[in-house]
Amino acid sequence: MHRRIFGLVLVCICAVTSNLHAQDFKLFDRTVQIHGFVSQGFVHTDQNNWLTMYTSHFGSGEFTDFGANVSSQITDNFRVGAQIYDRNLGGLGKWHPSLDWAYGQYKFRPWFGIRGGRVKTVLGLYNDTQDLDFLHPFALLPQSIYSVDIRDSTIAHDGGDLFGDIQMGPKYGTLSYTAYAGHRDNSLHGGVAYLINSDGLIFNSLSGLQYGADLRWQTPLKGLLVGVSHQNQDNTNKFTVPLPTGPIPDNSSDNSDWINQFYGEYTWKKLLVDAEFRRSWDDTGTKGFNESQIDVHSWYIAGAYRIVKRLQVGSYYSSYWVNFPIGNLVPAASGQSHDKVVTGRVDINRYFNLKVEGHFIDGNGYPAVSPIGFYMFNNPQGLKPDTKALVVKGGFNF
Amino acid sequence: MTKNSRIFLAFLAAMALLPKPANAGNGVRIIANTSVKADAISPAELKGVFLEERTSLADGSRVEPVLSKGGAVHDAFVKQYLGKNESDLKVYYQSLVFTGRGSVPKSISSDEEIAAYVAKTRGAIGYVSSDASVEGVKTLVVSESGNDGGRRLLTRIEPVYPSTLHSNHIGGVVRLKITIAPSGSVESVELLGGNPILGDSAIAAVKRWVYAAGARTKTEVSIPFDPER
Repeated sequence: MHRRIFGLVLVCICAVTSNLHAQDFKLFDRTVQIHGFVSQGFVHTDQNNWLTMYTSHFGSGEFTDFGANVSSQITDNFRVGAQIYDRNLGGLGKWHPSLDWAYGQYKFRPWFGIRGGRVKTVLGLYNDTQDLDFLHPFALLPQSIYSVDIRDSTIAHDGGDLFGDIQMGPKYGTLSYTAYAGHRDNSLHGGVAYLINSDGLIFNSLSGLQYGADLRWQTPLKGLLVGVSHQNQDNTNKFTVPLPTGPIPDNSSDNSDWINQFYGEYTWKKLLVDAEFRRSWDDTGTKGFNESQIDVHSWYIAGAYRIVKRLQVGSYYSSYWVNFPIGNLVPAASGQSHDKVVTGRVDINRYFNLKVEGHFIDGNGYPAVSPIGFYMFNNPQGLKPDTKALVVKGGFNF
Repeated sequence: MTKNSRIFLAFLAAMALLPKPANAGNGVRIIANTSVKADAISPAELKGVFLEERTSLADGSRVEPVLSKGGAVHDAFVKQYLGKNESDLKVYYQSLVFTGRGSVPKSISSDEEIAAYVAKTRGAIGYVSSDASVEGVKTLVVSESGNDGGRRLLTRIEPVYPSTLHSNHIGGVVRLKITIAPSGSVESVELLGGNPILGDSAIAAVKRWVYAAGARTKTEVSIPFDPER
């Protein structure tokens, strides 16, 4: 059934490609734009199954996603739109479409606007665009910060944003801000659910309040952007413990969850260099009983160079370090993972691209509690300390 | 002549035959629909309009950007005024579209089509080659202050629309080159383009304009005569 739906989507996309003017049309004298994307990947690893796929033998092609949106500028200052997103990534997504974003945005002035609805969360350079493969040189963004398996922990919120761009003149650049608050909800088909279910529990929900802000400065030095993001979350995780005597519902609540992220991006001619550092802190459970603290430090530095119009090469180094200072649920421990990546991207035309990427990964994080793509569940033979991966990914967007 | 010298000379010859990049400053003309009141636009305003950060100019004129689909003038405009290259710009617009924060501006193939679209579309603002025909649109001067040559216009006298021409639906845009004296008065006016009768009327009006005091400045202004008004 899902294959049929996917086939239908592909047919629709091909039909649209043959007549790309169809993406714009008039409705009640307003221009309506329709855009979409689809990507298909293949991953092979030399050892260890990765990203919930069984990648270590022949490889896995269970790496598909697509999205489509419709939007319209209703007045000079007011626009509305919505996007659906669906993916099938190993044990994640499983063809359950989600409302990616759907909101109205009103811009009173360039320096002040509001948006409300389901809104993509601004956090660091790429949180809100991490699914949009065609925007990035890499087939997989640095997993230390933009993990594809736990994307829904930060991806969007049902609430509102205040935003604006403050022009400070040619000498001081532009300051852009976003402040947001809303409710967020982890998917039943995401990495957290996958981890909890694979532990023999039944994941019911992980949701709560999310609020934060992002401040970025387009500096007077041409091409240089620096910024900082902060986010707080106040979640409750509900799950069921299946006991022989019958299922018992249980839950745990956050005491303090926050993320601080610092980033910079520099573009010069055909060169793009960016780097980010994220510190995240997660404190859950009852103090002295089942409290669990997770302290993650992650960072990456990446560079990409467009050799010719249709060929771009890039590389990044991504580092993840996780520490468990309190040992109520698990013994106090730490884990780490470092990923060295080289990639090549070919833009076949303005709609299609193809990426070939090599990953050289050292370490698995701490798979029992805070996995970074490596799960005990689909590595029952035990995890080896390092992994080499080949990722090939093709994408289409219009 | 040694072999290395011959190779070097051949390399120089090959470099000389390579296409020259367009001179953004001289090769690009910013045009706007005659409904746009401003005669000048600052680089920051121009960038803000094309990056969809703003939908109006400082004087309140509503504007809608129009892109060229490609070519040397497009590349020069994107580099000079938006501070990006074509690939960066594509990524920028796509990130707006796929997060719901904006849309991709209309893009049109040729200078003629862009000028025609800008002429008929209220608020449209685009760019064409400096030697393209720009009948029916006004040319915007790009200056840091967003006003003529950096001089703020204090008093603007609207030209008289000759009734014979108006009633016969004869209109268009008159382009003038003016010199502003240090005191702020308009020292000289030269007709660059447009209907000569409308030009005489525009010159008579512009000569009565008063700018803020400053250094002697030469700049271009466009005066629209819209027979539909």
